[in-house]
Amino acid sequence: MPDASVPVVSMRNIVKRFGNFTAIHSASMDIRRGEIHALVGENGAGKSTLMNILYGLLPRTDGDIDLRGEPVRFANPKEAIALGIGMVHQHFKLAPSFTVAENIILGSEPLKSFGRLDRIRAERETKAISERFGLNLDPRAIIATLPVGLRQRVEILKALYREAEILILDEPTAVLTPQETRELFATMRSLADSGHSIIFITHKLREVLAVSDRISVMRQGRILSTIDNKNVTAQEIASLMVGRSVLLRVAKNEAKPTGELLLDVKGLTALGERGETAVDNLSLSVSAGEIVGLAGVQGNGQDELVECIAGLRRPVGGQVQICGTPLRPNPRGNREAGLAYIPADRGDLGLSLESSIWENMTVGHLGKFKAGPFFAATRAKQRAAELIARFDVRGATPDKAAGSLSGGNQQKVQIARELTRDARLIIAEQPSQGVDIGAIEAIHRTLVEMRDAGRAVFVVSADLDEVLSISDRVLVIYRGRIVANLKAADTDAEEVGRYMGGLDEEPASVGALPKETQHVV
Amino acid sequence: MDLEILNSAVRISTPLVFAAMGGLLTYQAGMLNIALDGFMIVAAFTAVATAYFTGSLELALLAAILASMLLAALMAMFNIKFRAHIFIAGTAVTFLAYGLTALLLKGVLGQDGVFTSDRIPTFPVIHLPVIENIPIIGEIFSGHTILVYVAYVFVPIVAWTLYQTKWGLQLRVVGEAPEAAAAAGINVDWVKFQAMLLSGLFCGFAGAYLSLAYVSLFANKMTNERGLIALAAIFFARGNPYLTAMVAILFGTATALSVRLPQVTGLAPQLLQLIPYVVTVLALVLVGWRTTRARSRHSAWRFDIG
Amino acid sequence: MSFETTGSGPGMAVLNFCRPAVQPIVAVLIATIVGGLLVLALGENPIEVYGLLISGSLVGVPNLLVTLQMMTPLLFTGLAVAISFRAGLWNIGAEGQMLVGALFAGVVGYAFPMPWFLHLPLAILAGFVGGGLWSAIPALLRVYLGVNELVVCLMLNPIALLLTGFFATHVFKAPGPTNKLPDIAPSAALPTFSVYSQVNAGIFIALACCIIFAIINVRTVRGFEWKIMGLSPRFAYYGGINVPRRAIWVMILSGGIAGLAGAEQVLGQYGAFYDNFSPGYGFDGIAVAMLANFNPIGVIVAAFLFGALNGGSGVLQMMTGLSKYLVQVLQFITVLVLAAQFSWDWLILRLFPEPPPKSPDAVEPVNATPTEA
Repeated sequence: MPDASVPVVSMRNIVKRFGNFTAIHSASMDIRRGEIHALVGENGAGKSTLMNILYGLLPRTDGDIDLRGEPVRFANPKEAIALGIGMVHQHFKLAPSFTVAENIILGSEPLKSFGRLDRIRAERETKAISERFGLNLDPRAIIATLPVGLRQRVEILKALYREAEILILDEPTAVLTPQETRELFATMRSLADSGHSIIFITHKLREVLAVSDRISVMRQGRILSTIDNKNVTAQEIASLMVGRSVLLRVAKNEAKPTGELLLDVKGLTALGERGETAVDNLSLSVSAGEIVGLAGVQGNGQDELVECIAGLRRPVGGQVQICGTPLRPNPRGNREAGLAYIPADRGDLGLSLESSIWENMTVGHLGKFKAGPFFAATRAKQRAAELIARFDVRGATPDKAAGSLSGGNQQKVQIARELTRDARLIIAEQPSQGVDIGAIEAIHRTLVEMRDAGRAVFVVSADLDEVLSISDRVLVIYRGRIVANLKAADTDAEEVGRYMGGLDEEPASVGALPKETQHVV
Repeated sequence: MDLEILNSAVRISTPLVFAAMGGLLTYQAGMLNIALDGFMIVAAFTAVATAYFTGSLELALLAAILASMLLAALMAMFNIKFRAHIFIAGTAVTFLAYGLTALLLKGVLGQDGVFTSDRIPTFPVIHLPVIENIPIIGEIFSGHTILVYVAYVFVPIVAWTLYQTKWGLQLRVVGEAPEAAAAAGINVDWVKFQAMLLSGLFCGFAGAYLSLAYVSLFANKMTNERGLIALAAIFFARGNPYLTAMVAILFGTATALSVRLPQVTGLAPQLLQLIPYVVTVLALVLVGWRTTRARSRHSAWRFDIG
Repeated sequence: MSFETTGSGPGMAVLNFCRPAVQPIVAVLIATIVGGLLVLALGENPIEVYGLLISGSLVGVPNLLVTLQMMTPLLFTGLAVAISFRAGLWNIGAEGQMLVGALFAGVVGYAFPMPWFLHLPLAILAGFVGGGLWSAIPALLRVYLGVNELVVCLMLNPIALLLTGFFATHVFKAPGPTNKLPDIAPSAALPTFSVYSQVNAGIFIALACCIIFAIINVRTVRGFEWKIMGLSPRFAYYGGINVPRRAIWVMILSGGIAGLAGAEQVLGQYGAFYDNFSPGYGFDGIAVAMLANFNPIGVIVAAFLFGALNGGSGVLQMMTGLSKYLVQVLQFITVLVLAAQFSWDWLILRLFPEPPPKSPDAVEPVNATPTEA
């Protein structure tokens, strides 16, 4: 139980600047012994930055950190680890072809003489520590063969092996199923009971309320307040996070789907990177004039599904039709058939960050500026300037590099390019990821406008609230199958969440929609 | 078969084994070090120059190793600290080394192209006490210079270090998943730097062997793409130390044959010298073909460059 | 490569504007200083040495003509490397492609006599085809089997040297002690202009190629597509550019142009294919392309600079105790400095202590160590 005496960690007035940009203005927080302390905030609020400072990954510009009453300043994670701080990153930092034991002991290896590794001791200790904390793992298993939930256990054990007393978990549930999440929470609770302090970074309010003792809310680089879990409601935290009461629903009229299927996926099967079946005989369709949201826990086949539709991945079976044209795996053909695709992966796929904004806005529109083999760069730049004004891309000129823009404005560049194409099907993947709240509204409004103009919009998002608020119809994907097809107005997060966990598997009859759910009231 | 050929294969393979062990450590640390030839040529020159001026083999060997490691440090600095593309940095360092040694050959030793002198001591031949008397094995393995034995002893040492020690584990993790290593508190850049320095160390041995034991002279570009052949062996063996050494010896044998066989068969020497490169390209093709066949039917399109 | 940082203030604006020119100049300056120290250490006077290099290459018509002769192969190989690097393909196999191109040109040049207006173009074309075929190997392996083209190019260079050597010594060998093909027919020779140097009509072909590619890069759809796929191939593919096909053709073009360097050497300078004739023009091409920042017009300037250094190095060797290899040292110090990504930002930080701003979203996903593939 939380012990209210001396805080184990005390951060006061932390400031972090990157060049002219201030990521953290002034953040203060205390962590008590044996508590689960949630750190919540929107994407980009500075949660990870603050924790990276505590963990020694980033130097701080100003402010003090006390650890068990002693002032500390870590030059690197090694120093933080030595003093009992452990961090489990959102993207696991494991070496895939090495064993569980090797990954766990890495950096604090048990040794025999002459700097030799003591493998037997490593495996014994790994076994012992995993049993002690009730996290079953085979020390000799190769990481690459383990499912995500078990890899996360390896990460946690890595920290515990180094005798971490303060454990930072960065968005640990993003990759987990509800079942795995429950197990994780149980582990967190038992760790806290045994005297560990846990900092739990998240933006999912339900989880915060379910597991944490105290909650610190972060917004725009500041910690606004630290609250006791008992005295707070989700609505209050949400208001603190965004600075005003949250819009639960996007203002929009009733959808008028025409029934013309602009996206029609039939019996699609696709394999993932490791050859596993990621999309399993999946069928879905999106009609002109409706917004369909795809909800699901990350890693249930969404990425592969979208890649197949975009022509970036070759399916092993089934068919995708865009605007009635059957497709071959080649993005060029899909675009010509009428696809506009706003990918989640801006840096790698949707934009070339080193290229100028006008070049980013011109790719995919080359036909417009073509005269024989020649290319009208001046006209392309003019058009880019117009788009910058029309889509309100802040701080942009056509010649500036796309990478110099903030995340939200990069997103606008992508959207400007994709939505000005003559395309009747729009796929928006994580449209609000890393985008500030004002821009999210603008993006959602644009998508609704597109719908009202008779296009089909397909939104894929890991953010359940976003899916629920923007969609007319919600599909839930679980292990590569569509397990639910719900009218957004008639469902809620509770129900969708249950389907996301795969608890109520519905007999699949989703390709052909039941009449009554086709029209959203 | 003529045992003389096998005996000379052992000698010819020695610099390849040294260089391959050096290249292997950087390979395992995630760096494709193509500057092995550059490291070796600098070592070969330093060895000859030092031996000529001091008459001491020990000093010459030491100086060769230091010079090679110095160049390795330069390479590491540009690649690791200044983030220069490793192939560009490697090419630049290699040709810089070729140019620099040729320049110094003229400037310090006053010769163009080749330098040799009676004052250069060479490594003495060692006759292994018992092995010498075993019929075939003795003829092949006895009667080499100390550096030959050192080279072959290095192979198990490298293998043991890579797979049995803490340093080896860290090095391999740095090569495979640098972010995992960093998160575990390992100084990734420092480990890479060490690997590059050791690459220099091994190439220092190789260079000194070339100019003071294999022959007793320095000539411009005398490494004769041995670094590249060593690299080919590493690729072929996918970084496994014993396999790499074995492939290096095979490639060395092919080279030894290319000197002898044409006299017997009239075969063009080039065709045998081609073997290491062609075999490596074929191995790359085979690996590529297998992975592509496994992936192409389902996988996302990738075109990652560099 | 790092993002282009956009700074504030008039000084920064000027610097950003001059960026493409300043970076190479700084690199050359650093190389000059390091080289000067080296010369000093060898007991010569650096100012005298550099003076000799300049006078030996630029002063007087004969010297200038030698410079132009030395510059010609560098124009071809520099351009070859520049267009492939710009499109994100690391063609470091220009040396091998040049050798194969030279062999093809040499064979066509001697074996098929015909009227000059057919023979010369055909021999030049043969050089292009030879180089193109040789570079098609890494290109096809890259695109269809995902094999790293850098490694394949690296291995293909000695393969080309040994194979062409095999042809010159065993297959088409000319009678006599030299390992060479028979002399080309006069009808296949590139016309020369002067007794002072071997500079020939090939230089006009080279300059024309540079200008054509400058136009292609800036004014055509292809040039635009190459640039985009060079910076981000996945983005280019996503955006509907047929990256695999473009990649193959860029490599073939690049190899073909490197092959032209070989054709020029055989048809214009040597008059026959000689075994092992190249002092490493293909690798010098990397230096030229880097100095030119992959810009075809820049290639002309960079090739002239390195051509002049090579031209002057002969004089250097005669007049001082130094070797002509000083030039190679200068050349590759320049490459090393240019390859480093510190130079420009480092300079800006020295001149303007206030650091340039980073994009805000560089903030969240912070990594302890940026890693190099």
